[in-house]
Amino acid sequence: MLGRPLRVMAKARSWRWLRFAFGGATEEGAERSREPTRAPLPKALTRTLRGFEVPPSPYVTEDRSPKTNSSKAGTGWRAAYFRLRGQRMSAGGEPAWLLALVFGAVFLLSALPLIRLGWAGIKGLEGGEAVRVLFEAATFAALRNTLITAAGGMAISLFVGALFAFVVALTDIRGKLALSFAFMLPMMIPPQVTALAWVEMSGPSSPLLKTLGLAPPLGSPQPLYSLAGIALLLGVQHAPLVFLAVKAGLAAAPRDGVEAARLSGASPWRVFRDIVLPLSSPGLIAGAAIAFVSGIGNFGIPAILGIPASIETLPTLIFSRFASFGSSTFGEIAVLSTLIALISAAGLLLQQRALKGRDYRLIGLAGARAAFTLGRLRIAAEALLWSILALLLVAPLLALVASSLVPAYGVPLSFDTMSLNAYGEVLFRQSMTLTALKNSLFLASAAAVGLLAVTIPAGYLLVTRRGRLASLLAILIEIPYALPGIVLAVAFILAFAAPLPLIGVSLYGTIWIILAAYFSSFLAVSLKPVMSAFLQMDPSLEEAARLAGAGFLRRMRDVLLPLLAPAAGASVILVFLIAANELTVSALLWSAGTQTLGVAIFNLDDSGSSDLASALSVLVVVMVIGLMAALEFLAKYLPEGVLPWRN
Amino acid sequence: MKTLLPAVAAALVAGLLSTAAFAESLVLYTSQPNEDAQATVDAFEAANPGVEVEWVREGTTKIMAKLMAEIEAGNPVADVLLIADTVTMHRLKEAGHLMPYKSPEAAAYDASLFDGEGAYYSTKMITTGIIYNASASMKPTGWQDLAKPEAKGLVTMPSPLTSGAALIHAQTLAGIDGLGWDYYKALAENGATAAGGNGGVLKAVATGEKAYGMVVDFMAIRERAKGAPVEFVFPAEGVSAVTEPVAVLKTARNPETAKKFVDFLLSEEGQQVAVKMGYIPARDGMALPAGFPARETIKVLPVDAAEAVKNSEADLKTFSGIFGTN
Amino acid sequence: MAQLILNHLTKDFGGKGADRVRPAVSDVSLALRKQGFLALLGPSGCGKTTVLRMIAGFEQPTDGSIELGERRLSDATRVLPPEKRNMAMVFQSYALWPHMTVAENVGYPLKVRGISGEAWRKRVGDALSLVKLTDFADRRPAVLSGGQRQRVALARCLVTEPDVVLLDEPLANLDQHLRKSMEETFRAFHERSGATMIYVTHDQAEAMALATDVAVMSEGKLLQVAPPAEIYARPEGRVVGGLIGRGAIVRLNLPEGGARALDWPLLGAALGEMPAGEEHAGGGPLSDVLVRPEQVHRDSEGIPMRVLSSVFAGERFALTLALPDGQSVKAYSSVPLCEGARVPSS
Repeated sequence: MLGRPLRVMAKARSWRWLRFAFGGATEEGAERSREPTRAPLPKALTRTLRGFEVPPSPYVTEDRSPKTNSSKAGTGWRAAYFRLRGQRMSAGGEPAWLLALVFGAVFLLSALPLIRLGWAGIKGLEGGEAVRVLFEAATFAALRNTLITAAGGMAISLFVGALFAFVVALTDIRGKLALSFAFMLPMMIPPQVTALAWVEMSGPSSPLLKTLGLAPPLGSPQPLYSLAGIALLLGVQHAPLVFLAVKAGLAAAPRDGVEAARLSGASPWRVFRDIVLPLSSPGLIAGAAIAFVSGIGNFGIPAILGIPASIETLPTLIFSRFASFGSSTFGEIAVLSTLIALISAAGLLLQQRALKGRDYRLIGLAGARAAFTLGRLRIAAEALLWSILALLLVAPLLALVASSLVPAYGVPLSFDTMSLNAYGEVLFRQSMTLTALKNSLFLASAAAVGLLAVTIPAGYLLVTRRGRLASLLAILIEIPYALPGIVLAVAFILAFAAPLPLIGVSLYGTIWIILAAYFSSFLAVSLKPVMSAFLQMDPSLEEAARLAGAGFLRRMRDVLLPLLAPAAGASVILVFLIAANELTVSALLWSAGTQTLGVAIFNLDDSGSSDLASALSVLVVVMVIGLMAALEFLAKYLPEGVLPWRN
Repeated sequence: MKTLLPAVAAALVAGLLSTAAFAESLVLYTSQPNEDAQATVDAFEAANPGVEVEWVREGTTKIMAKLMAEIEAGNPVADVLLIADTVTMHRLKEAGHLMPYKSPEAAAYDASLFDGEGAYYSTKMITTGIIYNASASMKPTGWQDLAKPEAKGLVTMPSPLTSGAALIHAQTLAGIDGLGWDYYKALAENGATAAGGNGGVLKAVATGEKAYGMVVDFMAIRERAKGAPVEFVFPAEGVSAVTEPVAVLKTARNPETAKKFVDFLLSEEGQQVAVKMGYIPARDGMALPAGFPARETIKVLPVDAAEAVKNSEADLKTFSGIFGTN
Repeated sequence: MAQLILNHLTKDFGGKGADRVRPAVSDVSLALRKQGFLALLGPSGCGKTTVLRMIAGFEQPTDGSIELGERRLSDATRVLPPEKRNMAMVFQSYALWPHMTVAENVGYPLKVRGISGEAWRKRVGDALSLVKLTDFADRRPAVLSGGQRQRVALARCLVTEPDVVLLDEPLANLDQHLRKSMEETFRAFHERSGATMIYVTHDQAEAMALATDVAVMSEGKLLQVAPPAEIYARPEGRVVGGLIGRGAIVRLNLPEGGARALDWPLLGAALGEMPAGEEHAGGGPLSDVLVRPEQVHRDSEGIPMRVLSSVFAGERFALTLALPDGQSVKAYSSVPLCEGARVPSS
């Protein structure tokens, strides 16, 4: 999903800009650098995905960062605001109610459900009934499957992601932007669609293979309905995360360090092995951790691939426990969710340990990529990368399209037999899909726009205030996104199952509980572009407004919001993109009339109408690509670091 | 940006408003396949303008779980239930969740097809037989053929944990001399899999992933008519049947509309809709859809409903023990 | 206009243990001349910008207070927010809002005070005409040059008739020629507005040219406040002496209790006592003597010195000469001299 790349890239950006803020090009900048001016961004915020840290730019010292001019220098007025001046925001100046508002909102959205979950988990453990679930064979099997598939996925992601990252970042191949853009797609496309597409691509039932005459013989098993299949797809889904993490680490690699090595006579291979690889190990470790933790929490892929083969992972176990509701269900799923949360936390801690002591602060020119020229190898490298992309991305999508066009199962696809019936059914006849579409659009827009009301004040606070308060706020915002979606869904069920106090209305079973869960889950995603913009904004713009006499709301309206507008727009689009395709949270929270797109696809496939599921999935993919293209189109107005496929 | 915000706000408001008032509304929980559920609802809405029906579709077991969860949480949403088998319905009746209603249409039905107090009414007859891929080497004629070595690893069936019809089918076959649970054990040893619902089985056999399957009749016959390379056979030993009963829930928020829905399903018009979808109608005197043999030639195996109710839990466990948990 | 008083102003940014640094500003007391032009001069890190920001209200003092007339603006317990101080500031980066036109930028303080329409247009027009930017009223800041942006920022300071105008190294980013013309503009601005101006800079020539008073700070402490001529002629201490003007500081053995300004006889005597070629050794206290290059003349009856370096500076040569004991002084010469040459001087 999208939030992760944001944070990976934004983290690299934000640290660089922080350094600039500390050590500006002017002498006075040095004076200010002695002051703990900007809160060293609370560590939690520099976590990329799933709550861990990409190492703070290890290659840049505060004094030596070159003064940078934004590459967007131009006569447009927007360009002017992107130049950083190395000053700091002044403390105070925000009204007291702001802090209360932001904290209150974040507490309601983040702390409250999690506390409720923890409490239910503890009660479940005490009660004894629910504890039994921990010791059932099914749980052990699920735990084992989860760890195996997550580890396997991590290995595959690491391999593919690092390969792409090294080639794109370190060499002079052409078409880097297109390659990065395309490589981001597996991550943007919802996991259940990825799984569907791959299933349609492989096995004897594949319409694509059938049409090409390559289908395996009758009765061959579907190879993807296996632990290996799940691991493979997890690897494909999360490879872009590793890509981003490694690229971010490499972005700060010292050019002159590499040049010095080559002058010493080292061949490019030795330079890579002895210098670049060790220096990029923090990025590799970070990427591996992201991929692992994402693999643990992934629901869509094991739901589609595992259930037909009776393979359960912890998220699907929770889901099926919930689906076969019993008296001890709440306690049981609370306990299982806590288990998942603990494994995720362990993964993150391991990653923290691994990164300790890998502080490669070097002095050197930063910001320039070490470029290896490939010469004759260039074509081969480009061909390799594009063919990997073709295999991982294009082929499954083609299979998906093919399977949405068959008139009935098992009929080979040709221009005669092709039929748009599935699309007609999905778009015009099936009220469920229309409802799901409507719901998803509503939820996604409401979450995207509504979150700004929280994230803009929160971003302001985080950048101007310092100290433990800001750190606490940052952590509270990060946690719900770091947790696997299924855990969050359970937390929200428990927190809102009973009618709300005072109002006496129960949110359970309504669309509002899904909206609340989305608010909580995507708060961190919405915050990132806004934070980037705040960090890159010249603080003296606001100070001048203060001196001009403008109070907080006034200067928010006249100065800050217009300057934040592009980032806010990006935030809206990004949250919309993720929320519209979301499955995990809504899989547990949906009810009659509140299905979402993700749930619709899943249900259609689950009930055997996989042609309809494919048609809907194709539409979803088209929407994803369309929105990404829209973002790319807006790229020149956006602060750096907001779009993950750009540098 | 300036125009974006008002536009989004307008869209949100429009979205919210559109969910507002129809004169009457109805919430249907069903285990029918998505397209059939949609067609049923469309026909009902056409015959009763001013009514908007929201429906939720999941396998019988899951839909029951959803229903129970909502009742427990004190927030039941469903008005009317349309699921695969009467055994599950009867359990609901005994737990007191159904609202008895004497439908005038009941006169056209055999007494065995509906509950004496009007708690539920059968709407169709759905049998489970054998589906096989047209390119399969062995053409089965009876259940025992599926345990043959030629069918090794090529057989699939729906799981009773998902499909109500599958549960009845297992209970029926288990009660037959010469089949019983040993038959299922033999299938399992022969590499048969049991997972998911009937839709999955149909897809697996039609696309060639498996060669043989146990599946409900209307699905197989319908797809064959659309060109799928499958054949359906009513096995020699006989078939199990479920009757897809409909019932009004006691906690219904729209009981009057729910009753209208029941009446519609039982009416000749409603039954004709079922026939068009490829189901055998339950109403007296109606012709079967194309592709079916004559009604009299279909040998339906008996199942003791009371016993079935009592043994459901145990039977589910037995089945899981043989095939795994899904 | 009220008088601005800084009262034992101290700012400590904290930091614990290994991060502990000295206070940024330490016990600065200063009573500004009403309607004067104060230059805060000092090297990087001396705390001058922190003082400026405290005056503006962006930082709160850890100790001491700031008063404007009868009102106390800040102290360690309370701070009057900048919005309420009626001050104006020219930032180093000019801080022009890129999404507003020049006129809107200049007129924003008025808009905030609720002034609009004809009154607004008039005052904005007046301010723009003072800085000679009337034609640019509807342009965006991005299309302006550095000097023009500077003037817009200045104009913005004019419109509200503030009591105090703060300038944070406003000329640092401009080239030589622009600086000269901007200095003119500042002078005109000062006369026109009658505000107290506080000008932070590290360039002593600027400070001397513009200010009515120069305050020299170093390492957080205020070393000396005096009008430019006074501070040039009588700097107090090595640091100030080294900062103001050009000159060399020589350590000489002088009789105690003498007058501050040395005339040649005394100086010559002290220089004459110097043993050749070695550091001054033995008895007698050493004093720091500031010798400015313009005070060094070539004379046959002077002390012999050796030329260490001779640098062409356009209108003259800048010489560094070595005294007999190795200390160096600076001098000017209109003719080139070779390194190593012996020069009689006086």
